[in-house]
Amino acid sequence: MNPTVFAYLRSRPGLATGLAMIAVLLIVVAVPKVFAVHPPEAIDVANALLAPSGDHWFGTDHVGRDVFARVVHGARTTLGIVSGSLLLSAIFGGLAGSLAGYARGWTDISSGQMIEVILSFPPIFLGVMITGILGSNMGYLVLALSVVYLPLFFRAARSTTMVEGAKPYVEAAQALGAGHDRVLLRHLLPNVVPSIATQYIILFPLALQVQAALGFLGLGVQPPTADWGASLQESKDYLLIAPWMALFPGLALIVASLAVILVGRGLQDTDDQ
Amino acid sequence: MGAFVLRRLAASLITLFLASIVVFAMVRAVPGDIVEQMMGQLGGSEGEAVLRRFFGLDEPIHIQYLDWLGRVLRGDLGVSWRLGAPVTALVASAFLVSLQLALLVLVFSAFIGVPLGLMVGRWSGGAFDTAIQSFNVVALATPVFWIGLMLLFGVSELLGWSPPTIYVSPVRSITENLTILMLPMLSLAFLQIAAYAQFVRQHVIAAMGQDYVRAARARGMPMRRVLLRHVLRNILVPLSTFMGLIFIQILGGVVVIESIFGLPGLGRLLVNALNARDFPVVQGALLTVLISAIVVNLIVDLLYRAIDPRLRT
Amino acid sequence: MFEIYRRTLLKGVALAPLAGLLGVSLSSQPAFADDAVLYGAADAKAKSGGRLTVGSLIEPPSMDIYHQAGEAVNFVAVLMYQTLVYADPLGNPHPLLAESWEVSPDATTYTFNLRKGVTFHTGEPFEAEDVKYSLDYMRNPENGTIGARDFADVQQVEVLDTHAVRVTLKGPNSAFLITLTHRNASPIPRGWYDRPNARALLNSSSVGTGPFRMAEFQQNSFIRMERNPDYWQPGLPYLDEIVVNFIPNSAGMLVAVKNGRVDMAVLVRPQDAKQLEGAEGLSIQRSISLNQKVLDLDCAYGPLTDERVRRAIALLIDRDAVMQAGISGYGQRLGTMVPGMQERWGVPIEQLPNQVVDVERAKALLTEAGHPDGFDIDLTTIIGYEWMEPAALTLVQQLAAGGIRANINRVDLGTWLTNFRSRQMGFTLNDWGTPPDPNILYYRHFRKQPEGADFRNWNDDKASALLDQGRAALTYEDRKSIYGRFQMRLAESVPTIMLFGADHLVVVSDKVKNHRMHPIGWHFGLVKTWLDI
Repeated sequence: MNPTVFAYLRSRPGLATGLAMIAVLLIVVAVPKVFAVHPPEAIDVANALLAPSGDHWFGTDHVGRDVFARVVHGARTTLGIVSGSLLLSAIFGGLAGSLAGYARGWTDISSGQMIEVILSFPPIFLGVMITGILGSNMGYLVLALSVVYLPLFFRAARSTTMVEGAKPYVEAAQALGAGHDRVLLRHLLPNVVPSIATQYIILFPLALQVQAALGFLGLGVQPPTADWGASLQESKDYLLIAPWMALFPGLALIVASLAVILVGRGLQDTDDQ
Repeated sequence: MGAFVLRRLAASLITLFLASIVVFAMVRAVPGDIVEQMMGQLGGSEGEAVLRRFFGLDEPIHIQYLDWLGRVLRGDLGVSWRLGAPVTALVASAFLVSLQLALLVLVFSAFIGVPLGLMVGRWSGGAFDTAIQSFNVVALATPVFWIGLMLLFGVSELLGWSPPTIYVSPVRSITENLTILMLPMLSLAFLQIAAYAQFVRQHVIAAMGQDYVRAARARGMPMRRVLLRHVLRNILVPLSTFMGLIFIQILGGVVVIESIFGLPGLGRLLVNALNARDFPVVQGALLTVLISAIVVNLIVDLLYRAIDPRLRT
Repeated sequence: MFEIYRRTLLKGVALAPLAGLLGVSLSSQPAFADDAVLYGAADAKAKSGGRLTVGSLIEPPSMDIYHQAGEAVNFVAVLMYQTLVYADPLGNPHPLLAESWEVSPDATTYTFNLRKGVTFHTGEPFEAEDVKYSLDYMRNPENGTIGARDFADVQQVEVLDTHAVRVTLKGPNSAFLITLTHRNASPIPRGWYDRPNARALLNSSSVGTGPFRMAEFQQNSFIRMERNPDYWQPGLPYLDEIVVNFIPNSAGMLVAVKNGRVDMAVLVRPQDAKQLEGAEGLSIQRSISLNQKVLDLDCAYGPLTDERVRRAIALLIDRDAVMQAGISGYGQRLGTMVPGMQERWGVPIEQLPNQVVDVERAKALLTEAGHPDGFDIDLTTIIGYEWMEPAALTLVQQLAAGGIRANINRVDLGTWLTNFRSRQMGFTLNDWGTPPDPNILYYRHFRKQPEGADFRNWNDDKASALLDQGRAALTYEDRKSIYGRFQMRLAESVPTIMLFGADHLVVVSDKVKNHRMHPIGWHFGLVKTWLDI
């Protein structure tokens, strides 16, 4: 490792820890089979609700599936849904926001109004309605979450574009006859991307919680797909006799959020200096 | 300023109008309708048509919308299809439950979170700061419903106690009411305490470098007084706007907590009405949430405007 | 009159030794209403007074009993509304609001003598005109009532005098008395629905003749019923007040039961019993039900159109394993009959075709039907029915043995009902119950259109003919033999696979005495329940 990077990270243990956790999560997402010996979807009713043991590190659930395997494989589903839907809203919200901020005038006002409408819906209410309309599966869940978070990306992109667009170099470029697309692509977008990225990191833990909450309300992925929110939903009915069913997926959620929050904070502190 | 307020007000009204269309369209896009819910696996198909006529479900969708909008403008949210009772009354009683819970959380977490933020801001970088920071991060990362479940079962197993399951309004008995709301409030408060503490901490750290704090310190004013007299006063306004945002967040987050603790709040009303396809109630509940969010947003915006002259363009 | 009544009644009685099995004591003797039969056995030690809090996971969407279907309504409606006839746990009709009845030899004319001195909760006296109004309102499809189809074969209702009514049917229907035991048929004061706000009023008050009347209904919270001071059965009910407390999730319910916040709860998820084992001051009552958890096969849906495919599916399914997964084994494996009626009406499982797992034959059938490599199919489950998901997971594994690749598709109840009512149910798990009579159990679901609803598009001539014969047959022996043949046809053609029936599991605190759950699961038993405090 580059010594300066190393020293930098040593001075920021939070950031380093967060990055390390994310690295581990990414490996788990990439190759879950390396970690989990048991298949996540194989049910075995005779061995339901077993306490954690050498064979089943996190115990088994109500139909005898290995909780460890479900947590490990669930990482891909849960984190995939959250990062995917945020990515969607970042792209569409970011583009729309940049356009609105650049074009100003009626385009800005009317799109701003639409965004305001979405923003007035509390995320869970919006999620409940969208999954209620479309049905409960992974694709729709991604769609619902990306609609929920679109306005925040829109706002971030819009305000950055407005601030940057008013700067002399942009006006100079325009005066020199650069087309709108060129100004947007060459000058504004590079400035918008960092603010979108910051937004992404801030929203990630929130989206993770909303995804889990929707899973808890029974809206989300279809069984037998492993998913942390769904695991928690199933666990709530066995808390007295099988607390491990709730404990480990819950901890997994906390760890994933924690990793992103730590990285976010670490980067933020760096910016402040 | 006056022109801005007017413009902002007009924008809010337009938002509300657009939101009413979105609400109506979303509710009507939900598959199935109340008639099937009423009939269940019974009844004959002839009766279905009769009921659809009765509820006006056979009218074209835009007529249904205008009819609803007309009523709403006169302050009437219509009549619940399944209960025959006025939606306004149903929504109002449920909204009061959610509102009370949200306000409790807001105030309770402020009482803990703000002093906490002041302290960690004051001693930032120390062991105390690290401890509180760690708590904050964990609290931000933990799903609210998970805390709720753990509290419910933990308290039950450890103390052999659980909150009463029949909601009592504060008017009837404030002690019973608070007994019922205690665990739900705590479940929601963790996250908000952390949010407050984080917010205040950042402002305190920023203020520490400001001239007025340095001057006060130079005059020999004790740190405690500087914090309370100057720093706190300076962050009161941003804090109140922050509270507005948190409030909306809490109001949205009560759905799951209401389901865990069986509170008759707005979230549960919405979910139950949605399940029964009782559209007037779903529309009324959603509209209420939206209006409160829009109003709070409006207040926050106006407040910001009032304090930050740079925004007055 | 009593003689006639007894003859009609005894005709069909062949009592099975079910009582011991159920842990419910039953009387086989025909009897007048105020004896031990109605609402279960009396208890000589019973004391009056007290409030009972019952926890319930489900809440009635509305208490408009003529327009709102649903078990949640049935549960509590039977405490406030009464019918002319009461069905005991075995399915024998007993006089409730009727004092006696006479059935014409061809089972098309039913004459009821009504009980005197009964008043509605509104204070109005209960008379023949009320019965006529109620039945006429219910059977008129123009009123959008839930019972219109069940009473479609009523030709006319005549008032003979203030306390006598004659109902004439379009054709013989030997199950008519049991049809009358459903709360759909509860008399209400004449002209009720002409009143302004009639439907809304039913959510703040009750207008039946039952032992309890509605005091308060707080949506999303509770329904409170108080003793009807003018109730016609002397000394009943024992309780002063019943509060049914709606607790929307079973985690909260378990905690509430353990900490004495509710005195009694019906465990919709039988496996919850495990979590309460050994809890102090609580006991768990287990009894047989009239419920069935089934795998329905829409006979017009994709590969299911082919009867061989449906048979193959039946041959792949190990119902005991599905029951173990779904409800931890707290139930009865089914053939073609619900548990509480098996002894009296059911064909023994070993005599039915397609009941034992036979993967080789299933594969052969699939090959024959043109699916040598199996096929893909969606298996629908309903959100909120906790047993369905583990059951579906097990089914997916079992079907895979025959090459059938089932994908679980969870939908919400509203969407599911839309599909069900429009006869597009596909391949789905389902959960339903019945009053204890085979005609009521089968006719609506399996009779070809237009007489039946035939939700599964079975469209089977042979089965429909048998259902018509069964409805017209008069003696128990004839009916049993006809419904036996119907069940053979059902098992052979497989429009539905009855998997198992969940037992009723009720957790009660020790102070709750003399509570018995009627197999149908509605709260009849609370009329004679008392509190030892």
